[in-house]
Amino acid sequence: MLKRLASLALIVSAPLHAAPQLDLARVQQLAATPYWIALGHYETAKLGGWRSYVDDPRFFLAEDGAHHPDQELQATVAALYAPASLGDKHAQCVFPARTRWLREQLALTDLPSPACQEFDTWYKSIDPHSAALIFPAAYLNSPSSMFGHTLLRIDQSNTRRDDTTLLSYAINFGAYIEGSDNSILYAWKGLMGGYPGLFAMMPYQEKLSEYRSLENRDLWEYQLDLTPEETGRMVEHVWELKQIKFDYFFFDENCSYRLLELLQVARPSLDLTSQFPLTAIPTDTVKAVKQSGLVADVRYRPSRERELLARAEPLDHVEKQQVLAISADTAQLQSPSFTALPRDRQALVQDAAYRLERYRANGQERDPAQAGRSYELLRAINRNPPPPLQIERPGLPEDGHQSRTWQLGVGTREDRAYAEYGLRMAYHDLNDNMDSFPLGAQIEILQLKLRQYEGNDWQVQRLDLATIRSLTPRNELLKPWSWQVAGGLERVPGKHDDEVLVSHVNGGAGGTWQLGDDLLGFALGTVRVEHHNDFAELISPAAGFNGGLLWRNPLGNLTLEAKGDFFTNGEVRRSVSLNQQWEISRDLGLRLSASRQFSHLATAQNEVMLELKWYQY
Amino acid sequence: MKRILLGTLFAAVSINAMAEAPGGPNCGWGNLLFEGQRGTPAHFLASTTNGTSGNATFGMTSGTNGCSTKAALTYGGKSWFAMNGMMNELSEDMAQGQGEALTTYAVVLGVAPEDRAHFAAVTHEHFQQIFSSADVTAETVHSNTLAVLKSDPQLAKYATEA
Repeated sequence: MLKRLASLALIVSAPLHAAPQLDLARVQQLAATPYWIALGHYETAKLGGWRSYVDDPRFFLAEDGAHHPDQELQATVAALYAPASLGDKHAQCVFPARTRWLREQLALTDLPSPACQEFDTWYKSIDPHSAALIFPAAYLNSPSSMFGHTLLRIDQSNTRRDDTTLLSYAINFGAYIEGSDNSILYAWKGLMGGYPGLFAMMPYQEKLSEYRSLENRDLWEYQLDLTPEETGRMVEHVWELKQIKFDYFFFDENCSYRLLELLQVARPSLDLTSQFPLTAIPTDTVKAVKQSGLVADVRYRPSRERELLARAEPLDHVEKQQVLAISADTAQLQSPSFTALPRDRQALVQDAAYRLERYRANGQERDPAQAGRSYELLRAINRNPPPPLQIERPGLPEDGHQSRTWQLGVGTREDRAYAEYGLRMAYHDLNDNMDSFPLGAQIEILQLKLRQYEGNDWQVQRLDLATIRSLTPRNELLKPWSWQVAGGLERVPGKHDDEVLVSHVNGGAGGTWQLGDDLLGFALGTVRVEHHNDFAELISPAAGFNGGLLWRNPLGNLTLEAKGDFFTNGEVRRSVSLNQQWEISRDLGLRLSASRQFSHLATAQNEVMLELKWYQY
Repeated sequence: MKRILLGTLFAAVSINAMAEAPGGPNCGWGNLLFEGQRGTPAHFLASTTNGTSGNATFGMTSGTNGCSTKAALTYGGKSWFAMNGMMNELSEDMAQGQGEALTTYAVVLGVAPEDRAHFAAVTHEHFQQIFSSADVTAETVHSNTLAVLKSDPQLAKYATEA
């Protein structure tokens, strides 16, 4: 529509404003500059030439602008000369970033001056001055959040002086979901690119409460050293992307990639996107931005859950029971057992009770009784305020190990020696180098391990599609479930002491307990279905258990686990295993694994392996 | 157009907004304290792919949170309505006498930097007058605040600049 309008306008206006006759070589040269490529979100197509990530005809002025940056450039220049009376629909108003750049590059001094009321009002209200990259960290009980997300915050000129980031705006890129889709379908479509991606701008405060309260994720704010002018250029370009649909794939053309492009529009000398040929994981993009020297300082905002736990941390058992009692019934504030506490302890208890009450209300409809309790607690806090919370900043997320991992192991199974070669696309398991990761969270995507036994005897040892474990400790106040799911191919004991490759899906749920400062104990009930060639039936179900210890020690992480699967066909498979990681450096680790496996089909088998892990990028 | 979009965005967040709340429909200005954020399945899924749901896309400007802005903007182009989404945080901060939301409130009310500590102290002291019940709305909180400011010689000037 716009395109048609613009070209129509062009014909009409030809006698009034003549677009300059551009030299073809000059057009080609300009259209190939990185800045124009960035503005059009072009990439080199697989068969040569160009294609744009933008999947929306409204974004292009030339007929085939999505594939021809040069035609798009020519069409844009022509449209800039459309009559000013088009107002808000004028190309200069719709594409302010293109306009600015072309005007500078081609010295277009005789452009018409349409009144861009909508854009001007919008731009003025945002008043861009500086920007921050926002990274919501992973939430332990939701390991899929480990992939994280990044967004941008746009600050106004007074934001830092007045400490009012709550009034800033967020620029978010994400899948755009129309209507209320069936949930499973949604997740699948989201991963497979079935939804378009869209930029959205909203009050930053909304995003804050979404991540800190609703999802209980810590937030990292990386203040960028962009100048007001650079920030403004980025915001101008965001206006061009209003309601514009992008191809969206969860793994590469995702939020982080798009934001890197925006930063390149802000500062053309940056080269960030070319560092991610395959996938862009948010922590990696944080690393890239940091390496380019863009980060001025870092601020940490703990999640609401972390604040609650920090507040409750100094309380003893009796006081924690008070917290539970008061949050259930605020009349307990008058009970002798509470009023007998020293005043400063009362302050801590009632603040913890308030936080617990709000934590429980999280994600719920407003409940008048609960609101009443919260209000009573606020009044109590008002009479006797606690000291401000001091929460120590954990390790920076970008200081954690890299996500792609190469593995080289040597070991013996009973009396046979072997070498093992492995590659894991992402991300982290319970034993991996721990810095900047939460204890007890594991998410692995696509892992392949090949084994070479003596005599050049090769076999696929395992292929994991996904392995997710979430071991969140329960305590007096919060009682989260621990859970795990996994699926793929793996070797298990078979007849004649063979290792048989089976396909399987399994999952479990249970609890985790904090046994010491750095020691967790966990116990889960599990279920499993498996296809095993030595079994008569096609699919064999099993129920079982999985329990053990996870200990953070000076060398690295240690796990000691016992597992059992009781199949309906009579097979009983059990194992005990021990894994100890030695953290050599951030991106290098050595792991000792030992296990003993029992099966009705075979004699017990021992295995010992020493494995080098290189966290490459 | 943008405002309409914004309205629908906000409607998704605050289902219970009064039909004709001050500041226009779907404004959220009439929401009660402790209005819940509903973690719908849609939300859960939206967060797994970092998506936006409904027709909320570019719906924002001016920090007015979907409210019509016939009232004069107060500070840096922001209106009172910018506080809409922070009522819970504001109540907590004011109860304690310090915090980011309370600072932001002072800024939005146009309180000069040298008066902000005093503003925090005064609103802390009159917390129960400003947040007078569990069922206060942003609108009541605002007018209660102005009443408190008026009775303080140092802060009275901020109660008239609306």
